[in-house]
Amino acid sequence: MADDAVLAEMRALRDRVVGITDTALASRDGLIIRADTADVDADNLAALAAASHGVAQRMAAEVGIGVLHDGVTRGSSGYVATYAVGRSALLVLVGDAGLDTARLYRESRATIESLEKLLTAGAAGPARRQLGARARRSRALARTGGGRRAPRAAIEVIG
Amino acid sequence: MPQDAVSQGTVPQDAVPSIPVSRDEGCPGPGPDAPLGLLGQVLRECAADRRSGTLRVLGEPGGTVHIADGGVTSIETPGAPGPEVVLVRSGRVAESAWAAAFTAAAADGRMAAELVRRELVGHGELEALLRTVLADAMFTLASGEVDQCRMEPPAAACLLPLEPPAEPGWLLAETSRRHQVLASLPSPVGHDRDRVTRGPAAIAPLDGRQDEILALANGRRTARDMAFVLGCGVYALTLEFARMRESGLLAVGSRRQAGNSTPGRPDPRAGRPVSDSPVPDSSGPDGSGPDGSGPDGHDPADSTTGPGAAPALPRRRKANPGQPRSGPTAVAQGGASALLRLLRPGPVADHNAGQ
Repeated sequence: MADDAVLAEMRALRDRVVGITDTALASRDGLIIRADTADVDADNLAALAAASHGVAQRMAAEVGIGVLHDGVTRGSSGYVATYAVGRSALLVLVGDAGLDTARLYRESRATIESLEKLLTAGAAGPARRQLGARARRSRALARTGGGRRAPRAAIEVIG
Repeated sequence: MPQDAVSQGTVPQDAVPSIPVSRDEGCPGPGPDAPLGLLGQVLRECAADRRSGTLRVLGEPGGTVHIADGGVTSIETPGAPGPEVVLVRSGRVAESAWAAAFTAAAADGRMAAELVRRELVGHGELEALLRTVLADAMFTLASGEVDQCRMEPPAAACLLPLEPPAEPGWLLAETSRRHQVLASLPSPVGHDRDRVTRGPAAIAPLDGRQDEILALANGRRTARDMAFVLGCGVYALTLEFARMRESGLLAVGSRRQAGNSTPGRPDPRAGRPVSDSPVPDSSGPDGSGPDGSGPDGHDPADSTTGPGAAPALPRRRKANPGQPRSGPTAVAQGGASALLRLLRPGPVADHNAGQ
């Protein structure tokens, strides 16, 4: 039921913003939570999104451009955008060449807020339990790997 | 009608004058006298006053119309693919070749000349393509929801402006004609709403063009979405969808909800029946109405194939970066016209009063 709510939010965003082709909700450590994708491999998408968003955050901090809004990868025939959902998840959006990225940023705010509530509220059910398990694994990795190295774990694994 | 800065003929450099805001839900199926709402009104005013500027159209899909001396040079909209997508995704121009031309010329505003110089596309072919792409963009822009039109000073030159600019009257008349054609179809398909899937008749292998469409008909794509993948016109593809739906090759799987940021805001086009039951061909109007001919008398929306011929949607050639496209002198006659046919509907369901 709650997983339907997460998927419903993602599908509603795809309805509202013309040009979105695929959406996914991923954990910060690169595991897929929910996917509404067609030809894109959701597991690979989640892993790469976590890595790229992490790098984008560090880049923003390094050069001092404030809080990261989104990480956007732009290609000749489309875009991939990542948005933070709370502290533990990412919303990943894939779009075609006609995607209005400015509108996407505005329209995605409400979806991100709704997803964050679903993930943090008790009603999130299986999705939240997945996230909780992954967060516990991440913390365990951090303890064994050393505090400062922990955030790089996903990136090093991907690289 | 209240006066506004645009009507007064001057556009202050630092102002963003707004043409009166009104909720305009587009005219997906107007009669022959429909003015195409707010957008039509604004464009006619610009033409009459020979204005130059950038018209921001806020709405769904919304977009930007570049205007020079009252004529339209380019439209950017999420609703339809632009010239780059059409040329590259259709395979007409290799992606690497496009990138090279872009690197050499885009900053200087010489993209069109560079494409021709490199023999990637012929001059006449490029002009015809830009005109057809423009008509397609206007169709999707005017068919959608127009919340506000905002005239701004001329922006930086667009990448591939149509020269000479297109008369707004022609663009609007062509859009009206397309609306009439679509309204007359026995099995219409919403170009930006209806997501198509394989129909019950899609069981045997088909020829290339329909196979291509069926391969992409995964229940998630509208005609607009598939046009971006294939690099072809939205209107032409919509007509093909309607034909395939009528013959059972395609079915409408779901409908995209209204694209607005207010949850619960009603979709003005919601409630239209979405049915895949066969509908008897109640031969509708022949599409007569405003003369949709272009300035040279030729209707750019119609295929050049003869009457009764099957609509020509040639197989999309996959762009191979390792093999640069041959220039226009080496392109067979079918190359340039094949590209244009990608953007134009066939004659079967699109009748021109002039023919």
